[in-house]
Amino acid sequence: MLFFSFFKTLVDQEVVVQLKNDIEIKGTLQSVDQFLNLKLDNISCTDEIKYPHLSSVRNIFIRGSTVRYVYLNKNMVDTNLLQDATRREAMSERK
Amino acid sequence: MSFFGFDPSMPPKQAQQHSKNNNNSETLDFEETYKGYGEYDQEEGDYLNEETFGGNVELGTDFDFGNGSNQQSQPQQQPSHEQAHRSYVQAASSGVQPTNLDANVDLKPMESLWSGNVNTSSPVPVQIPLQGQPQQQHVLSMEEIERQQRQMQQFNGAPGGPVTNGNNQNAQFMPPQGFMQGQYPGQFIPQQFPNMYHHPGPFYQQGPMAVPPPPPHVQQQSVPPQQVQQVQQQHVQQQHLPPSPQDQNVQTNNSHLPSPMLEHELGKSPQPILRQSQSPMPPTLQELAPQGQTSNQVPIQNQQQQQPSRQQQQRQPMPQQNRREPLSPEEQKRLQIRHAKVEKILKHAGLMTPRDKDFITRYQLSQIVTEDPYNEDFYFQVYKIIQRGGIVGESNKGLIARAYLEHSGHRLGGRYKRADIALQRMQSQVEKAVTVAKERPQKKNEDSLNAGNATGRDGVLGKVSTSMNSKAPRRQLTIPLSTSRSGSTLTDEDGELRRNSTAGALQEVAESLGNVDLNNKTRARRRSSYAFTSIDQNSVLTRSGGRKFVLSLIETVYEEVLELEANLRSGKEINNKELWSALHIDDEVYEVSPYISMLSFDKGVKIMPRIFNFLDKEQKLKLLQTFFSELSHLNIIIISSYKTNPTPTDAQLKKIDLFQTVFLKIIVSFLSNSSNFIEIMSLLLHLIKNNNVSFISTSKIGLNLITVLISRAALIRQDSNRSSVLSTPEISTWNEIYDKLFTALESKIANVFPPKEYIDTIIEVSQPKNVSPATCYYDQAYIWQFLASLALSGKLNHQRIIIDEVRDEIFGTITQAESLKEHLQQEVNSDSNNSTINSDEIMYRREKLYQDLNLFLNVMGLVSRDGEISELK
Repeated sequence: MLFFSFFKTLVDQEVVVQLKNDIEIKGTLQSVDQFLNLKLDNISCTDEIKYPHLSSVRNIFIRGSTVRYVYLNKNMVDTNLLQDATRREAMSERK
Repeated sequence: MSFFGFDPSMPPKQAQQHSKNNNNSETLDFEETYKGYGEYDQEEGDYLNEETFGGNVELGTDFDFGNGSNQQSQPQQQPSHEQAHRSYVQAASSGVQPTNLDANVDLKPMESLWSGNVNTSSPVPVQIPLQGQPQQQHVLSMEEIERQQRQMQQFNGAPGGPVTNGNNQNAQFMPPQGFMQGQYPGQFIPQQFPNMYHHPGPFYQQGPMAVPPPPPHVQQQSVPPQQVQQVQQQHVQQQHLPPSPQDQNVQTNNSHLPSPMLEHELGKSPQPILRQSQSPMPPTLQELAPQGQTSNQVPIQNQQQQQPSRQQQQRQPMPQQNRREPLSPEEQKRLQIRHAKVEKILKHAGLMTPRDKDFITRYQLSQIVTEDPYNEDFYFQVYKIIQRGGIVGESNKGLIARAYLEHSGHRLGGRYKRADIALQRMQSQVEKAVTVAKERPQKKNEDSLNAGNATGRDGVLGKVSTSMNSKAPRRQLTIPLSTSRSGSTLTDEDGELRRNSTAGALQEVAESLGNVDLNNKTRARRRSSYAFTSIDQNSVLTRSGGRKFVLSLIETVYEEVLELEANLRSGKEINNKELWSALHIDDEVYEVSPYISMLSFDKGVKIMPRIFNFLDKEQKLKLLQTFFSELSHLNIIIISSYKTNPTPTDAQLKKIDLFQTVFLKIIVSFLSNSSNFIEIMSLLLHLIKNNNVSFISTSKIGLNLITVLISRAALIRQDSNRSSVLSTPEISTWNEIYDKLFTALESKIANVFPPKEYIDTIIEVSQPKNVSPATCYYDQAYIWQFLASLALSGKLNHQRIIIDEVRDEIFGTITQAESLKEHLQQEVNSDSNNSTINSDEIMYRREKLYQDLNLFLNVMGLVSRDGEISELK
């Protein structure tokens, strides 16, 4: 649940999602579920010329399995806390 | 459509025929294709045309075509429609005997979907006996049915409206038309279907289950209208009336049932008992009998029930008056658009009952909620608390409920705009989901016991594999934990790490796995090649148990702290024994305390404040004593000393900064909050006795630490001078310690100032790329602070020695400040454009140089200003 927990903190933040088919979509993260499906609002494609079909889309639902990468703003992440959360995850797994 | 009593029980057959014909398209003979269609005797029902097409029925503008249009757009609902429609005609015609069961066979599997909701199918037993009753006198005309429908719509439109028995409807009762106009097609009609699905009994099971098989044609005649009404009533009741639909059904059917027959039926089959137990209203049976005995009573009851709805009607007389007036084209168009919209929106509305929705929601929620959010949802929970500034806001469950409500689109609270109720409901859903989630781990364990085969469990979201799910996704790499340790030194790619494979590492490995010694040979060789140890981190690490050992210690400490913090949150008892032993402060086994080595790592430094939260005062003191006595081994001192590390890197400087902000803060707060004079003296003594003070004073961190100690001691001494708390032995001890410190520093005091090359290196490394070198400088305030506190605690002769030794630096600083002034003037003269930006900066620097210098000079009653030193007035 670590990633789910993590992405929940990014709700209402702007992220850039890179899909496995190389499309990069910038948008405000609306919601995320346990499969890491993402809902983005106010999206814009970083390469409008190559992927014009997304220019008329405002919000989008992305199946989690198609996501390759999510670019985040550095200051959205509390790295120390993330380390702790990782430790907790590892601890609970060992139990 | 089967307005003409066309037998829809045949469709499968017909469809087959059709497809056959289409397939064998070579020879299509008209006679053949038509064959059979006209031979049905439903043609006899022609005399009903008038009624069907409203020849003697008043034509309103509000005629219900909703069913028809829905039927076309939703083929999957057709069967139920067909039945409903057919029944109108069949109710009137007497000669038709279609077997309507086959047509609906394909709907049967739906039942299995709801098999969990046994309650909902409970009407079955009630209706089975009733359907057998010959009730020809109660055949309803289209008009009557229509009227009932209107009534239903009224109740739909009027929230909380009462329920009437649509069956024996009084003719004089007219529903307000206003409701129909807006809500007619969408709200009523589609929602009818789920109820059909939901109460499959009368439709799908009547044939096989009917106990006394009645004459088929009679059944067909009498039953269908009731069914329609029942469906409608059930629908209404579900929406507006909590009491059981069963009860209502019974009443409905009762109204035209001779009671002996009923009782006979009830007695015959065990099903009524079933119904009774499932019905929320126990007295159903008692009600049943008297009502059934005389059907005369029923209208009275109906009227009573209609009472409230009439009041409603009176409240809205206007729409009713408008009823006969035809709508203007504009209005009609608007109405049409509206209908279309509503229809579109509600096309699939009501496919699921609230109960189904609740179930799905609960299942979905159970995937994301957890009983122990701080454990499983740690990052999110703590992050939110940090964001809110330490205030715990809304409860986790409330938050989830709110968020989920928002996503599901129910945040407005549905038709009645009761957002609060919607939220409440969702919260209760979350509660339930938590219980579901609670049960899940057990199931998981059971599954894991059933061998490793990933047998899936059927969930609402499809087949859910138990071995892999969102909580435990498939891993790209699975690292076997047991073997990772034995190859520790070999798998280390880092060359530095290999150096650790000396005695300490050996010991550690031997400890962890006593039986594995296959690597001894290589280690011995390595040890010989790294036998000489310099004053570097690795040697220190080695002497404190090895890098791996220290790193694993840090992790252990983290885990202990996390555990303690979790206990703190949940209000459990806090026992720091484990933590204390993990810190290895008392551990004498190692040459250098592992605790000191822990501070070589950033994460080891970062955890310190949190460790301190869980230590008592004794432990803190012990920890600091260890810290100060082994200061020379501290990696950060070595890094921050210009002697051992003349060219610090950027990373090292950051490390120094981190240590300063994190660890120094702890020490300062400990000293100023909870320590007394003797404790401070003991710490200082530990420092002086065990370390080379003059070396430590060459490092920024070391100097800061000494400064903290002596300035705190000086403060306490000043305070106690007034109140004379300190005893004479304490003061004499202090003087002794101070003398020791001073002796250690004497003749090397000037060494606290780093050489120019070192300063230049630091400036070069730390300066941002886009800033001109002139604005960068090395902040020497910490040195002057040290000198100031040293002078403050010393006597006059001490001060004199200090001044003597650092005289050059004093005047050097003054010169520097004055040169800055000249530099500034030159710059102003040379180009007046760019200087404004820099001039402020330079003026500030000059001020700061004087300020820092005066920190020290003021202690001795001196002050320096504008290149001169004068007495402080």
